[in-house]
Formats: sequence, C-alpha cells, structure tokens
Amino acid sequence: MVKGVELKKPVFFGFIIFICAVSPVQAAELPEWHGFVEQAFGPTISRSGLTKHNDYNMLEQRFQLKTRYAIPGENLLSDWNGVFTYKGDFVLDEYFDTTGSYEIRELNFAFSPSSMLDIKAGRQILTWGTGDYLFINDLFPKDYISFYIGRDDEYLKKPSDALRVSVYPKLVNIDFVLIPHFTANTLPDGDRLSFFDSFQGGITGQDTQNNAVKPAWQAENFEYALRLYRSFGSTEGALYYYRGFDPSPRSYLDEANRQLFYERLDVYGASVRAPFAGGIANLETGYYRSRQDAQGGNRLIENSAWKWLAGYEKDLGNDLKIGLQYQYEQKLNYDDYASALLSQDYYWDKYRHLLTQRLTKFFKNQTVMLGLFNFWSPSDKDGYVRASCAYDISDQWKLTLGVNIPWGEDDTTDFGSMKKNKNAFVRVRYSF
Amino acid sequence: MKKILVLIGILFFASNALAVELTVDEVVSKANNRSYYQGKDSRAKANMVVTDSQGRTRQRQLTILKLNIQDGGDQKYFVYFHKPNDVKGMSYIVWKHVGKDDDRWLYLPAMDLVRRIAASDKRSSFAGTTFLYEDISGRSIDLDIHELDSSDPDFYVVKNTPKDVGAVEFSYYTVKIDKSNFVPMKAEYFDKSGKLYRTIEALEVKDIQGYPTVTKMKAADLNANSNTVTEFSEIKYDIGLKEDIFTERFLRNPPQQWLKE
Repeated sequence: MVKGVELKKPVFFGFIIFICAVSPVQAAELPEWHGFVEQAFGPTISRSGLTKHNDYNMLEQRFQLKTRYAIPGENLLSDWNGVFTYKGDFVLDEYFDTTGSYEIRELNFAFSPSSMLDIKAGRQILTWGTGDYLFINDLFPKDYISFYIGRDDEYLKKPSDALRVSVYPKLVNIDFVLIPHFTANTLPDGDRLSFFDSFQGGITGQDTQNNAVKPAWQAENFEYALRLYRSFGSTEGALYYYRGFDPSPRSYLDEANRQLFYERLDVYGASVRAPFAGGIANLETGYYRSRQDAQGGNRLIENSAWKWLAGYEKDLGNDLKIGLQYQYEQKLNYDDYASALLSQDYYWDKYRHLLTQRLTKFFKNQTVMLGLFNFWSPSDKDGYVRASCAYDISDQWKLTLGVNIPWGEDDTTDFGSMKKNKNAFVRVRYSF
Repeated sequence: MKKILVLIGILFFASNALAVELTVDEVVSKANNRSYYQGKDSRAKANMVVTDSQGRTRQRQLTILKLNIQDGGDQKYFVYFHKPNDVKGMSYIVWKHVGKDDDRWLYLPAMDLVRRIAASDKRSSFAGTTFLYEDISGRSIDLDIHELDSSDPDFYVVKNTPKDVGAVEFSYYTVKIDKSNFVPMKAEYFDKSGKLYRTIEALEVKDIQGYPTVTKMKAADLNANSNTVTEFSEIKYDIGLKEDIFTERFLRNPPQQWLKE
C-alpha cells in the first residue's frame, strides 16, 4: 500500500483533470462525494514477540472518499450511460510509525455502447462465485492481512486494474475480464502478522527473509477470467475459466535465496445456486491446473487440484440466519509429488476438509448485529473463529467490536500458522 | 297491477342491492390489486423516517421499480438505496412469487458481491424500518381467511385470520377499506392475546394517472413505541419497464434512467 503511493497519485490527478475536461459541468451537476472517517484499534490477545509490535496489530485512521458521476447531457457518453466511479482511502497507519498512504480502490469508467454490451475499464473490485469467505472460481486478489486483523469485510477484496466486458445474448450471459497487470494476494509477511515460514522451519515474524517474485508486466503474463452464467427459473448456473497465476506464492523459485513465486494456473469451474428446503443451496467446483507442473513430479511447484464446495443458508426467522459450508480439496498426482520430496521437505497433504458455519442475528430493528463465523478443518486440525458485534448508533455513526481467533495443532496449516495472531478489534466509523 | 309494479320495484331494488354488495373475497381482491398491482409497472421514490421510542430518527431513501408479471400474482421489484450514506449504491431485486418463497438478491458494490438472500421469513423488518417485507410487497391473500367485520356507507372493515397460525406473529388483523376506491386506509394487527400491537395507516391518498395511490403512510409498533413514516414521491405508472431490468446485469449496473436523484 505504502509502496504504491508514488505511482498512484498522478493517476488520481489525471483522472480529476480528465473528468473536468470531458464534461462541461455546471455547478448544480457536480458529483456528490461520500465516504467515512474511521478509527480502528486491534489489541492482540496472544503475544508472539515476533512482529513489529507485541501489544496490537492494528492502529489506524482511515478516510475514504467516493463518488459516482453519470455523464449528463446529450452526447455519446451519456447515451451510453457512462458512469465514472472513484473510491480512495487515505490511511494514517500508526502501526508503521504513522505512515500516511493513499490507496485507490476504484477508478473506472463504465458504459454500455449497445443494449447487449457493458464495459468497465479501470481499477475495480471483481467478485464472482457462490462461496462465503471461500473462493474457488474467484481468483481475484484478496487481502488476508485485513481479514485477520479485523478491517471491514470490504478490505478482503483488493482492486484489480482490469477491463471487464459483459455481453448479454439470449442464451447465456458472458463476463470477460482482462487483467494486464498481476495483483498478488496480501498475505501475512511477518511485520504485522506472524506466519509459518518453511525456510525457517517455524512460525516467524519480522526476521523472515523470504520474498516472492511477481510475474513481470508483459503480454504473456496477462490474466484472463471468463464467466458464462444464466438462470433457469430460480436456479442460477455458471461456468468459469481463469488463466493466470496463483495469487498466493505457493511454489519455490530459489530455495537458497528463499524465493517463492506465483506459479501459472488455469482454473476450470462450475457452480449452481438454487432455493432448497426453505433456504438457498449452492454447489461449486473448480479444477486447478498447475501449468508449470502438470505432471505433479516437481516438488517445488504446486500440484494441480480439485476443489468442491457445498453450501446452505437459511433464514430461521426473527432476524436469525444460519449458513453452513463444506469444502473439499484434493491434490492431484500426489504420488508423483510425494516420491519427489526430499526428506527434510515440508509437504502439502493430499486432502483437506473444511467446514464453515455462519450465524447472524439482528436486534433492535436491525441496528445491532451479532455475527459468528467459524472455520474448522478436521483434516488440518485447525480453525478460525471470527466473531463481531456491530451497532448502528445512528445513520452516521457505527461501532464494531470483534475478535479474530485462529488456532491449530500444527504450525504449518492455513489457520495453525496464524495462531499467534489472535486479536480483538474496535472500529468507530462516521459515514457522510 | 299495482301489486305487480310493487313486486317489480322490490325485485329491481333487491337485485340492484345484490349487484352492489360484493363478497368479502371480492373486496379483498380489489383492495389487494389497488395496493400492489396498479398499472403494468411503476416507479416511485420512497423516503422513510424511522422514529424510535426516544424520538431519535433514522432515514432510508430508496427508489422502487415494480413490474407486474401476472395480475394479482407474481411481480418483480428493483430497489436502489440512496440513503443512508453507508448503504448508498446497494441494490436489491425481488422476484415475488405467489405460493412459494420469493427470490431475492442483494448487491454490495464495495465488494462487487451479488448475494442471494435466503428469505423465507417475510415478516422481518424491511431495511430496519417498522415496515415488514410483507407490507412492501404484499401478503398473499390466499394465506388468510377473510370475513366482513363491519360495513358502513364509507368503509368495509375486513377481518383476516391466518390459515397457518404458527407462521406469523399475529392472531388476526383488520383492514379498513375505502368503499369509493378500495384503498386500504388502516390495518390493525392483534397479537396472540388479542391485544392491538401494530398499525399501518394511509395518511395521504392522491390520484396519479387515474390510479388512487397512497402517497404517505405510517407503520407503528405499539410495543416498541416506534414508527416509520414513508412518503412516496415521483410516482409514475406504466413507464415501460422491461423484465431484463430485474436481473444480475442491472443489479451490478443499476439502470441509470430510472434512478436519477
């Protein structure tokens, strides 16, 4: 975030100048600005002694500004329903010695040049698929540091610089996304959150030396995502294809220099979502093809895999909702991978079973929300409890309290490697 | 001869009276059509002010687009939130079905997330107001047994008793319907002990394009001592909405031409 400041500022000012140049706006038509100011604090429950600060992992002030501007008047862009969207955050991060940063979350122009075509170009948030906090066919970038320290859910999704083209012929709707510049997931890196570092052989914080090498910005590294979807009455079906890179660095480039990389990845998937037994059921699957190790015999590169997800959500009445999910993952060509392993290697398991449960209850005319989300993997013997309470004090003020409790028997599993990062958090937000 | 004339006269008046006096189901059906099915489609902006027991207020402002798929039956709704600011830009689609659960989708623009909403409970609060989902999209008339409670020259009062008592929080409700135009003017809900605990009242009725339309209404929760007043503005019928507005495409890209601030 901080590192991107130099690059992003000119983009922003360029955008403002562009808006002013293309639209001879009168004062009355100036776009409305909205946003919020937020103070967030996240004291740690478990002290690892590994990260930059021991007592807290979040202390920041955030100022978000956003606007949406529909091109007015009689011109081509307004005939095409052209809309500019901008959303950006100024953050004063006291965790990192009160560093100021500016992050553009959305900066795009959307328009419909024909009745069957929508185009959105620029920085945007992209989401699809049927999972709840579980993503099989949504390979768009995520920020798991935000997720684990208790920022708003909005920050789990990272923006992509992309071109999205949507076409709506009669038979099926088509979404095509081109991402020229790879964006990686933001993962715990030791400064703020400790994690399992296989080079050091344990849970590590600031003294990690590993680094991940991103794909270079060139045409052969462009990423593509495709979704075909339609509904059959109340049932929604979708097919997905993704060609790009694993957004998390799971493969080893150079062990001696502690370098990881984002291996090339193709994903073929499908999903169905429909009403079932008074609730909503969903099924999703994805075949992950690891292009640089399709045979699976390379111990340094992630293998291909199948992932399956089944979910069910039901409204129990009285503003109480429950959601359940089961995800199953299986690494393919596992025998080839296993026989290539060296004796000192940390290795991936063949199977992973993951269960989740969400409970949401509203009180006081939906102004108080209690939420509990549980991840639990019986195969990894780990889990993650996310509990929160949000109170809409008024239309402007909102108070959110919560805890993040990852746990696990082993240090190497997804949630087990996070187990020294337990925290509580409080956020106070004023929206305008 | 005189007797015959008298007889004819009596018969004439009697049959005339029979023609005017509708059955209770016809009254309910006319009132239901008046409330929820006028025109082929409609657009309205709703400003809702929620007042709690301590006098604190909250505001909800939304645009509602509505399309009748079947008269007195299935409908499609598109709801776009203008206020409060923290939900501004959210949109919501309901495919209302008679005889089975509605389909509902919510779009959260901050995450570009289309969430399908499990919505079997239609008697939960609409957007945190005193109105319930069922008040906004209508309660299926087949769910209740209707009896004429009373009738005066101006109003019918219909008593509605749910067929499935366990599915709802009330034991019955009465609706006062204006005889001149079949607009329901006041609904009163009674709890299981027979106590009045909830009212919905039409505060203002206007003629819009020939359709008598409630332009201001109030829902009150007598137990919580809170209420919500909704004022509808920019109401327009028969604007030519097409069914494709009520799909994921427009959930993600709200239809500009219908949502001008």
